[in-house]
Amino acid sequence: MSNSPDLSVSFAGLTLQTPLVLLSGCVGFGEEYTRVEGWDNRNIGAVILKGTTLEPRMGNAPHRVYETPSGMLNAIGLQNPGARYVVENILPNLPHEQTQFWANANGTSPEEYAEVARIFEDSPVTAIEINISCPNVKEGGVHFGNDPRMAARVVEAMRPHTSKPLITKLSPNSADIAETARLVIEAGSDGLSVINTLVGMAVDIESRKPVINNISGGLSGPCIKPVALWKIHQTRAVAAKHNIPILGQGGITNAKDAVEFAVVGADAIGIGTGLFYDPLMCGKLLDGLSDYLNRHNLGSYTELVGSLVTNKA
Amino acid sequence: MANHQGTIFEEQAEVLAHITHPGDQFVMRVKAPKTAAKAKPGQFVHLRVSDERALRRPISIMLTDPERGTVDLLYKAIGEGTRLLSERKVGDTIPMLGPIGEPFDLSDTSKRYILIGGGVGIPPMIFAADHLYGRGGDCVVFAGSEVEFPFALKPSATLLPGVNGNAILAIRSLEEREVPSRLASNAGLYGCYEGHVPNLARDYLAALSDEERKRCVLLSCGPHPMLHAVARVGREFDLPTFLSLEEHMACGIGGCAGCVVKTVENGEEKYRRVCVDGPVFPAELLPEFA
Repeated sequence: MSNSPDLSVSFAGLTLQTPLVLLSGCVGFGEEYTRVEGWDNRNIGAVILKGTTLEPRMGNAPHRVYETPSGMLNAIGLQNPGARYVVENILPNLPHEQTQFWANANGTSPEEYAEVARIFEDSPVTAIEINISCPNVKEGGVHFGNDPRMAARVVEAMRPHTSKPLITKLSPNSADIAETARLVIEAGSDGLSVINTLVGMAVDIESRKPVINNISGGLSGPCIKPVALWKIHQTRAVAAKHNIPILGQGGITNAKDAVEFAVVGADAIGIGTGLFYDPLMCGKLLDGLSDYLNRHNLGSYTELVGSLVTNKA
Repeated sequence: MANHQGTIFEEQAEVLAHITHPGDQFVMRVKAPKTAAKAKPGQFVHLRVSDERALRRPISIMLTDPERGTVDLLYKAIGEGTRLLSERKVGDTIPMLGPIGEPFDLSDTSKRYILIGGGVGIPPMIFAADHLYGRGGDCVVFAGSEVEFPFALKPSATLLPGVNGNAILAIRSLEEREVPSRLASNAGLYGCYEGHVPNLARDYLAALSDEERKRCVLLSCGPHPMLHAVARVGREFDLPTFLSLEEHMACGIGGCAGCVVKTVENGEEKYRRVCVDGPVFPAELLPEFA
């Protein structure tokens, strides 16, 4: 056995140098984390940029974030400078030789999603994640994600406008995530992100006001990890049938978490809130993952994916 | 953006001292040589208070000793996170990100910096005064608290214009360096100005000659009602005013846009990140304080 197992993964036709994908909304537009000494983009398979709409959006009034037991709520509200600005002013300055950058497309109508896809088509992003499950905007977002047919319509609208892989981010809040997965795959989705945040709220008992100005927010962090694993498990069968990869995510903070996600069926591993615990967690996670693979005589991350042992057929 | 690369350090900060003061105030000295070497007044550190908590806590820097590699922090245990922090013992290590944020601009040697701090907003003022003292800068510190001040005090040997003679106490570490300071409190604390600290600063400014007052710049950190009052004083005397803000914060390095404040710049409303665009903002950009 080699001491360095192969951590590269193939995902929707792309080759990622590691299975770690930094999640949209946690890492700004790709450069913020380079502020931290010791940060290395080469630990990262891909960075998904902040959710982008056709026109600029200011985002929600504060408070936007609040800590909860083993997690946090957020309602940022898709603050972004608009797709054209991102393509013209941000993407040219990113270190594309160090890692890949993916867009995260948002809209209030299938037509707006399609226009965002068209704008990113002529850009160096290597894939486009479709956010049909943002819980924090009044129109679009999770409303598409909770209705499987609307979700599929968004993917259909975008598909003709881009040759890049489309990765649909599924909501854990929908009634039947496997059905949504099936419909978005049939509509042309090349990959799935599972899961987005759960919708939640918190109350300030002194003022009796919601802590988050938006009232509700997206719940993330280790508290949602069991839900994420189960949703991946539910999605895995339909995804595997169509040979569609899953970017598994939800509360991963260390190598043990990552192994659990891989075993259940995560072809790549999404890191979000975990960065707030430790911005340099990715290097440590990869070391731990390599140790695990060596200990189990596995030559690559890919061999681990979907290796869940169950008594049920 | 590129010039910010590698400016924030993740250090395992060892607790060297942790002292409890009245009113749930704590002064903590940690060993964090990289932060100590680079930190500037107005910047903060982001502490992981417990392995179980998802979010770190931003705490402003009160003083650094670059030679010994130490960083001093003052905080109040007011919520669960800061309570967990207060349980850390000497010898413990705390994962610490820092230094973070745009510092106060203290570069203009023709100015007198009026440093107005309230409660846990006092530390950046101590740091700014220390920085200015080392560079021959001109400043006056006004600090307000409703509980006993968490540092040594001594009667001041200097008179300050406009300041009631009963307000005789000063912060000892500043007094010993001949940096003038005065204290304000509504809690009837001996030797303090009775009232809110912005009023104490206002009395001082009103007593200056027009010529002297024009040189003044207001820098402030503290609770929002206090910052509102400081902004009013700044407007009354038409003085540049800079406020250090706080907001619920997640990443602390600009990635999540969780900790925003509304600004108006060239007529355009924006949400700016308190962590890396701030925490210091010109009051004139902040509609909440305009």
